[in-house]
Order: sequence, then structure tokens, then C-alpha cells
Amino acid sequence: MEVLIILIVFGIIGYFFYQSLPNQKFQKAQSLFEKGNLTDSIIILDEIFDKHPDAPAKLGECKLKQGIQIKLSNENGAIKYFNEVIDLKNRLANRASKIKYNLVEVEAKASFEIAQIKFNNSIALNNKETKIKNLKENLRFIDTLIKIGVESDFTTLKRKHFSELAEINFEFGVQFEKTNKYVEAIQHYSTAKDYSSEATNSIIFYNSSTRTGISKLKNNEFVEVSILDHVIKSPIAYKKDFFFRYAKRLLKEQDYLESEKIISNHLNFSSSAIEKLKDFLKTKKIKDTIEKVNDINTEIDKLYENSFPIDEVKILYENLDKRIEEIETVIPTLTIKLKQIKPSLFNHLLTHYINEEQYGNAIVLIQKFPAFYKSPELLKDLGICCYGYTAQGNLSEKNYRTLISTWLTAVFCDKVILKSLEETSWDDEYTFTLSEAIGSNYQQYNNLPDNVNYDDISDSNISIGATQKELLQQFETLIVKKISDNDFSKTVTDFYNDEKDAIQKIVSVITTDILFAAPFFAKKYGINQDIIDELDNDYETYANEESLQAGLPYIKIITDSSVGKYSKATELVTKLLLAIQNENLIALKSIVDDKEKYLIEEFDTVKDNIENSIYNSFALKIKKDDENEKLIPLMYECIRFTNQNDKLKFQYSSYVADLCIAKVNSDQIGNFKALTLMKYAYLYSIDNPRICKNIITLIRYNLLDIINDKTNEMSNIYQLLDTIKNNRSIIFKRNSNELATARADILKQLEKSGVDISQLTGTYSFNLTPNGEKLKKALTYMSVLSENN
Amino acid sequence: MLNPYQILKVTQNANKGDIMKAQMLAMKEKKHSLQEIQIAVRQLLDPAKRLAADFMFPSKIKAKRPQKISIEILIEEINLNDIDENTFDSLK
Repeated sequence: MEVLIILIVFGIIGYFFYQSLPNQKFQKAQSLFEKGNLTDSIIILDEIFDKHPDAPAKLGECKLKQGIQIKLSNENGAIKYFNEVIDLKNRLANRASKIKYNLVEVEAKASFEIAQIKFNNSIALNNKETKIKNLKENLRFIDTLIKIGVESDFTTLKRKHFSELAEINFEFGVQFEKTNKYVEAIQHYSTAKDYSSEATNSIIFYNSSTRTGISKLKNNEFVEVSILDHVIKSPIAYKKDFFFRYAKRLLKEQDYLESEKIISNHLNFSSSAIEKLKDFLKTKKIKDTIEKVNDINTEIDKLYENSFPIDEVKILYENLDKRIEEIETVIPTLTIKLKQIKPSLFNHLLTHYINEEQYGNAIVLIQKFPAFYKSPELLKDLGICCYGYTAQGNLSEKNYRTLISTWLTAVFCDKVILKSLEETSWDDEYTFTLSEAIGSNYQQYNNLPDNVNYDDISDSNISIGATQKELLQQFETLIVKKISDNDFSKTVTDFYNDEKDAIQKIVSVITTDILFAAPFFAKKYGINQDIIDELDNDYETYANEESLQAGLPYIKIITDSSVGKYSKATELVTKLLLAIQNENLIALKSIVDDKEKYLIEEFDTVKDNIENSIYNSFALKIKKDDENEKLIPLMYECIRFTNQNDKLKFQYSSYVADLCIAKVNSDQIGNFKALTLMKYAYLYSIDNPRICKNIITLIRYNLLDIINDKTNEMSNIYQLLDTIKNNRSIIFKRNSNELATARADILKQLEKSGVDISQLTGTYSFNLTPNGEKLKKALTYMSVLSENN
Repeated sequence: MLNPYQILKVTQNANKGDIMKAQMLAMKEKKHSLQEIQIAVRQLLDPAKRLAADFMFPSKIKAKRPQKISIEILIEEINLNDIDENTFDSLK
């Protein structure tokens, strides 16, 4: 019993001793904290402050929580708790406690709470100066605090401070502005801008910037252009206010262009005040434009005074278009009068250049004249200049196309020749006829001059055609004479002939009154489509493919016109012939499979021509080399392209048969290859006796090769023979006796040497070896292929 | 193409007689070869060829002599100062 009592006593003592251990006390404090009993928890933690490393941190947490709980009802009490949290740091005795205390970041959190309370107190103040003072002090206070763990909360809090400061300064700015104290206002707006920038408060930022601009305008100060980007982001009332003042300022500063932009972009609403700005601007523009017109008048006066010096004429002429453009936007009624000045200046320049034989300058001048080719005078002058420029020896690789094409266009244009008649009087005793003119069809023109007709040529009725031919001949002589380089001479002559042929072709087809331009000229000046349209019309009316042929040189971009389609069709044929010429099977196959191949069928001249063109191309190739195996697949593809053209099939069969005979006889190819090549030669010409005889001989050779074990192509041979067997013609059958004879000879020899041939000829064969079976099959094919039914 | 009018020193309206006279003078003057003079004469006596020679003389496009531009526009003067810049005052 005593022992038991002693044990109980020791147990109780032990229990109390255990309970008084710091760790146990901390556990208890922790439990109380979790249950919300902060007061008792604080008492225990205070006891073990130096005895347990987690106690200071937990104590800080308790006090922080206590402060937060009462901060709305008892601000001062809360601040006291928060300060106690911060003070705990001074009681920390050991390193472990310090580390743990720092880890829970209670100091930063308590500091934030204090700063937050100070901020709330500051913004609640009515007096703006005191408010600014307190907010600034609090910002300084915040800067001294430890913020670890709650940095973003502090950043947000600081931004709130800056935002408040920005708003207060903006309000001050407005107050000063309202009392016309613009310098002070600008100063406050500037401060507001700075704070709003820190606060990332864009509304105050743009508003301050805009008000700064307005204040500067009111105060007659310079306004930076960069501010405009801010103004457009401000409220509409600010925008209207700023831009109206700004537009007026720009007008005062004579920056009319910028002011006009501001009015049109930012003041585009109805207002009598804005209309006044616009009227002012309009008046100013009219005045300026009148000045510009007066400048032109002065220059004209000068030209008359100095007898039109060419340099000044040139300057005025070259600048006139731009000046007219500027003037007509303001006073459009002056355009016609201004444009009338130009032709006269043009005449002065052109006459000068031609008189001085500056044909290059004259050509450039005429070419720049809008639609010069519609004027017979200018076309004629351009022709003269091209002739003159060529006569001076200036024909080059770069310009020969333009010079030749222009000359031909000018000479072929009947109206140009008729123009020459108007300028002389020697011709009064003559009449002139267009009956053989090279540039027109019969009776194209309705309004002919009195001395021009379509009657027969006589001594008094002069041929305009003869004049045109004379001019052409003169030019032809000239280019021969002026070009010493043979290659260039050929290039130029070929080009001249092509252009001339082309123009002659369109003249022969087109019956309407259009300018018959040479192809290069037509394409250069964009009049080729008119010609193509006429040719299309002619084709649609008369189905005359000559019209389409005539249009080919005039195509610059292939369109969906008939000429365009015809061009595609002929281009395909050209490509095909080129592929044959180059023995390019890949290119040829792509043409054969071209989806626009159908176009060839649409045009008879292309379709009819293609057979001969292909045939002749191959004939030429065969003539050069009659043992060229590469031609065989090319020919095969062409037969496919022309939908099994008989003439080409015959050419193929003859060529392949000749090639096979020659190559087999000279042992260049084996019997199997020869038979393979001959397959289509036969199938394309099954009624050709020579082809039939040749393929039958090759069949015999191949079957003998099987019998004599001289080939590895047995199954391929039989495959080929099956095709032939199913396509035997009467001619083949008539000539197939060769196979029957060969079979009979073989059987005879076998019989002679004592072989029982009954199993080789009969339907059944029970005792045949593999060789016997092989022999029997070959003999059977000989028999079947030589059957006459 | 040499200019036959220049070789024979005649105008573009010269008649047959003028041309024949000019041929004699040109031959005397010997400025051009006999062949050049003969070609020039042939050219001017053949109407079709003469028309070809005439083609080589430039023509002028229809144009009036440049005239000064008269302007009759009434301009209403507007004084900028008469426009109230506080029309859209945003602080009112």
C-alpha cells in the first residue's frame, strides 16, 4: 500500500514536472491560439519566451491577430499591439528564435497594418495640404520599414498614396487654371502627372497632360506635339477644348496644313465656331492659290519678254502638271484655262528639239504626253524622231524595239499620212487614194478629206499605199546601212520583219477604225487589248482563226479571250515540239497530261497542224539517227496526245520494226527486248504485212529461246504472246505459217530421235518432265498463234 | 533619207517648174553630188514619193499661245481674333 502511494505521488510529481516542460507549454499555447484564446496563449508564450525557439514567433502572431481583430473598433489599441509585435524583436535572445521569428514575417505584417491605418487616416482628412503632408510622411515611413513577405501589399499601398497625391494635385491644378493662374496650374498638373505615373493611374495622367496643354494654349505657351497622343485619350470635353484652341493656334502660326488636319480629324462635328475656322482656312488657301496662279502669269510674261527661252519653257512645262494639281484642288474652275497652257509649251519644246535634231529629247517628250498615240500629229512626229534618231546611228540593243515599232506604227497609220496632206499646197492638183493603203481596210473612214478617196490609182489619183511603202523602204535601207554588227543587224531585221508581219496581219483582219499599232508599241502603251478585243470579235463573227493567229504577238498577259485560248493551245504545241526536239520525256508527259490540252481540239488550225508538226519532228530526228531507242517512248506519248493518230502510229510501227530488225541482226538487243519493243509497233499497225511478218519471226525466236533454255523471261514472253494472241489480225493469221512450220520441224526432229511426241501434241501429258512440260507449252503457243480462225 | 527640199533649196509648195530650175542651180553649185540631186528631183516629181518626203516634216498639235490666267473671286476676310477660343471650355 505504501509502495502504491509512493508510486502515485511520484506519478503526480512526474506529471506536473512533465507539464511544466517548455515544449509542453508551447503545445498548450498553440492549442489555445487555434481555439482563439489569444490572451491565455500570450501568457504561456510570454513565460516560455526565452525557453522555446518558436515562442517569440508565435507570440508575434498572437499579438498581430489581436491587433487585426480590434483595428476597426480600437485603432490605437491595434497600433499598440502592432508595435508590441515589432518590439518583440528586441527581446530575442538566441539565434534559433531570431530565425523562426523572421520566418513568420510578423514584423513586416504589423508594419503594413500600421502604415495602412495611417493611410486611411490621411485620406479621411479634409484639409488638402495636411493630407498631402501626411501621405508624404507615411510614404517616407513605409520606405523605412521591413517589407519581407508582404512586398506586393506595400507596393499597392504606395500606389494608393501616389494616386491620392496625383488626384489632389490635379484638383489644385484645376483650381489655379480656373483663376487664370496658368503657371501654377501647369506646375500642379506636372506633379499630378509624375504621381499618376508612379501610381500607374492613366486617367489622371492623360487628364493632367491634356490640361497642361490647354493651360499652355491659354497662356500663349508652346505646346509639344507629343502631347497629342495623350489628349486623344482624355475625356471628350477636354479633347474638344484642346483641339479647338490648338487648331486656332496653328492658324495663327500659319501652319495651315497641320491645322486642317486637326480640324478634319478631331473637330469633325457640327459647330458654327469650327465652321469659322474652316472658312478662315479656305480663305487662306484661296489667297495662296491666287498667288500660285499669279506666279504662273509672271512666268508667262517673262517667256514673252524673252522670246520663249527653251530652258524656261522646259521648267514651266515640266512643273505645270503638279502646279495645276495643287491649284485645282482649291479653285477647280481654273483647271481648263491652266491646261490650255501646256500644248503651246509642248509645241515650243518639240519644235526646238526637232530643229536642233535632239531626237532623243523629242522622243521622251512625246512619249510622256498623255495618250499621244491618239493624235496623228504626235504619232507622226514620234515617227520622224525615231527615224532621225536611227539615222544618227543611235540604234542600240536597248532602244531598237521602241524605235522600230514606233516607226512602223506611224507609217501604217493612214491618218498620219493624211495629216501630211494638210500641210502642203503642191498637192492641190492631185487627189489621193487609200485603195492600196497598207494601214486600212476598204472604206474604213467616214470623214475623209475632200482630196482623198478609195478610187483606182492614176497619174492624178496618187496612191497613199505607195507613199507608205516608200517610207518603209527608206527605213529598211537605213537600218541596213547603220548597223555594222552582223548579229545585231540580224536581230534588228528579224524584229522589224516580225513587227511588220504582225501589223499587216491585223490590218488584213480588223475592219473597224482603230489604231493599227505594231505589237511592241501596242504592248508598251497598253493598247494591245483593244486590238485583241477586235480580233476576238472577228473570230466570234466569222470563226476565222487567222484573227486569232494575228493576235498572238499582241498578248502581254494571257487572258480568257479567244486569242488567249488560242495562244495557250499553240503554246502547248510549241512546248510539245520542243520536248521532242530535246528528247525530254518528262516534259513531254507533263504536256500530254496538261488539263488545257482540250483547247487544241477547239481550234482547227492548231489541231490540223499538230499531226504534221509531230510527224515532221520525228522524221527529222530519225533522219539524224535511225537507231535512237529514246524516240520510242516519246512517239508513244505523242500518239497518246493526239488520241491515236493513224499517221503517227504508222510512223511509230515502221520506225520500231526497222530499229528492232537492225539491232537484233547486229546482236545489239536480245529477242525478248525486240519482242517487247515490237508489241506496240504491231498493235498500232496490225494490218501492216511487214510488221506482222517481223513480229511473227520474233515470236518464233522467243519460243525457240524458251525451248532451248536460252531465256530467263519465259513468263514475260508468254504474257506478251497472250496480248498478241488476243489481237491477231487477218494479215497476222495469213503470215503465221512460219510458226506452224517451226512447230512441225521440231516435232519431226523429236520423233526422228525416238521421242514419243503424242504427249507433246495431245491434250493430256502424264509422264512429262518439267522440260517436257516447257517444250509442250512453247509448241502449244506456236500452234495457237498460227491458227487461222 | 536626205531632205530633197534642202538639197534643191525649194519650199514645200514648189511646183514642177520651180523644181527643174532648182535642179540646174544645184548642179551648178555642186554642193551635192549629181546622184543626190537626181534622187531629190525624182522624189519631188513623183507625188507619192514627195508625200513621203513631206511626211518627214514635223507637225504641231493644235494649241493657243499661252494666255495669262484671269481670276475673279471674291474673298471674305475673317479675323481669327473674332473666334472665341473658349467655345468648348471644359472647365465651365
